[in-house]
Amino acid sequence: MSKHNPLSELLSAWEETYKKGQLTLWIFLSLKDGKKYVDEIKTFVEEQSNQTMSCESQSLYRNLRKYQHVGVVNFETGEGNKGPERKYYFLTELGLELLNSFIERNINLFFNNRIKNLINREEKQ
Amino acid sequence: MKTLSKNLLLFSICLFTLTILFRFSLSSVLQNRLFSSIWIVAATYGVLVFIIGWTFGKRDNLHLPLYDIGFRFHLATYIICNLIAELWHLIGLQSDYENISYIHLTAIFWGIGLIIHYVIYLVTRKNAIKGIKKSEIFE
Repeated sequence: MSKHNPLSELLSAWEETYKKGQLTLWIFLSLKDGKKYVDEIKTFVEEQSNQTMSCESQSLYRNLRKYQHVGVVNFETGEGNKGPERKYYFLTELGLELLNSFIERNINLFFNNRIKNLINREEKQ
Repeated sequence: MKTLSKNLLLFSICLFTLTILFRFSLSSVLQNRLFSSIWIVAATYGVLVFIIGWTFGKRDNLHLPLYDIGFRFHLATYIICNLIAELWHLIGLQSDYENISYIHLTAIFWGIGLIIHYVIYLVTRKNAIKGIKKSEIFE
């Protein structure tokens, strides 16, 4: 039997599953914040998620290519910092509509008073 | 759907080169009546085609996971292999022991397999949006 703290083990297991579908939401939120190149998206995701989300640049590029292919993200090239031109990604109209619909159906649920109170309630049952 | 990707193009160029080399080796071996060596030429060609298919197919999927169950690569292979084989005979580069009717038969039977593959591809395409499997877009 494991000697680790059961809370920490269970939390890690839950978070591992929970985070799998989270990257898209974080990427889209970073692009809703404004046009960004890959390193800026990576920084946004890591900072805004309090380092609970991490992503490799290669993985970000692959995801962005998929989003671009289905028409929810696009890019324009802009000047890099003394280097080659960078791709600045942004949400298309469809992408923005998709994000807003997703937030409305899946995220706003957490903002109704009953759920908010439950989330904020700290006393032990 | 982005049909002709960079990796598919590179695969086609490698396959084209390999197939020319294969045809040349096969005709030379047959013309010199080295019949027992044919399997070495065929096996080497088969292994090399498998390796380039595996390599560029994997790279293509990593770049953009188009859900075509390998149909684009299969189609490219069919066109390149059969076109080169037909032209090889039309130009007259074949050995005295090769018959063009076998090339036609190969193209017909392989073509039937290709059509079946296409039908399966059309069926599975329903699970995709713009060629990417629905469950893989936002994973």
